Amino acid sequence: MTLTLDDLSTRWPATARIVNAVTSIWPEHARYAGKSFAARDAAMMQTTETLAEAALVLTGEHLLRYAEHYRWTCDQLREEELFFHREGRYRLSTFAEADAEVYSDAGYMEKYMDGLLISQILWVNHAASCHFFLTETSPFLAPDQRYLEIGPGHGLMMYLALRDFDLASATAWGLSAVSIDQTRAALAKLGYDNCDFAVQNVMDARAGSKPYGLVVLSEVLEHLEDPKSVMAPIRDLVARDGHVFINVPINSPSPDHLYLMETPDDARALLIDTGFEILREGFFATQGTALERALRNRVSVSACMLARPV
Amino acid sequence: MMRTMDRASIYESLNEIFADVLDLDDVDLTDNITANDIEEWDSLSHIRLVVSIEREYSFKFSNAEIEALTSVGDLVDHILAKAA
Repeated sequence: MTLTLDDLSTRWPATARIVNAVTSIWPEHARYAGKSFAARDAAMMQTTETLAEAALVLTGEHLLRYAEHYRWTCDQLREEELFFHREGRYRLSTFAEADAEVYSDAGYMEKYMDGLLISQILWVNHAASCHFFLTETSPFLAPDQRYLEIGPGHGLMMYLALRDFDLASATAWGLSAVSIDQTRAALAKLGYDNCDFAVQNVMDARAGSKPYGLVVLSEVLEHLEDPKSVMAPIRDLVARDGHVFINVPINSPSPDHLYLMETPDDARALLIDTGFEILREGFFATQGTALERALRNRVSVSACMLARPV
Repeated sequence: MMRTMDRASIYESLNEIFADVLDLDDVDLTDNITANDIEEWDSLSHIRLVVSIEREYSFKFSNAEIEALTSVGDLVDHILAKAA
C-alpha cells in the first residue's frame, strides 16, 4: 500500500513533525516529500521514524530553523545540480577549494549541516542507506565488536550502531575539533556519552594491537580528492575477520563533493582496488527512481557496500 | 541551414526532450501543462529538462528564468524570446 503524507501523522509521528515543519515554510516541497515517502515500505519507514526521533532530539525547539536551513541547502544543491548537468563534472575538485568555500565558513556550515540532518529523513536514498546499514550489516557482526566511524557528521549512523549492534566500544574520528565536538554533543543528547572521540587523520593512523571489527565511512569518501589513498590504510585498521561499511554517492553534485563516481563500478572500485571483497551492496536512487534509469539520466544514487579485507 | 523556430517546431523538439529526460513513452505537450500534470517532472528533473533544452537551442537560462518556468507554455515563450 502506498504511504501518503496524511498517513504519516497517525503512524509515524516524529517523521510527520519534520515533514510538517518543512512544508509549513516550503509548501511546494510537499509533492517531493509525498513521492519520497510513497517509495518506502513499512520496514524502511520504521528506520525513518527512528532517524526522525533522533533528529527531533537534536533539533530541540529549533525545528523550524532546521527546516529553513534544509530549504537553503536544497537551493545550494540545485545550483550544483545545474552546474553538474551543464558541465558533466563537480564544480570543485580540490580540498583547498572546498575548505575555502564551505568548511572554513562557520555560518555556511551550520546551515548546510542542519539541512543535511533533515535530508536523512526526507530523502529516500538517505533513509534507505541507513536502513541498509541496520539490516545488512548486523548479520555479519560477531558480538562485542569494536566500532570505528570516520567522519561521523551528525552521528546518526553511529547512533544506529550503538542502539542496535552489540558493540564493545565505539570510536569516532574527525579531521577537525569542531566537527568531532559536534558529534560528541549530538551523541550525548541521544544518550550515548561513553564513546571515544579523536581528531585523527586516517593517513596518520596506525593499526596498533587492537584493530576494529567494523569501520564505517558514511558519505565521507566523495569529499576527498583521492579516496582510494585513504581506503588503503583503512584496510590495516580492520580486523582480519572484521568488516568495513561505506556509503558513497554516484552522480551527486554538492558544494563540497570532489570525487565523482559515475557508475556502481566506480563505487565498487573504492573497495575492490584497495584489498576488500564486497559482501553486500545496495544502490538507492533519489526519489526511488529505478537504478538503470537513474544512471542513464545521471540522477543521484547512494551506494552502500559492506566488505571484508582479503 | 537556418533553423525553423515556431511554436509547432518547438513543441516537436520539446516532446522528444521530455520523453528522453523523463523516460516517457508518449508525450504530447500543450501550453497549459505544468509539473503537476506529469509525475516525473519534479524539481530535480526540471534541472535536467532545462539543460537539455539549453543544449538543443544553444543558449542558457538564467537562474531566475529557471525558477519562473512553471508550464510548457512558459518554456516555449522563453525559447522563442531567447532565439529571437
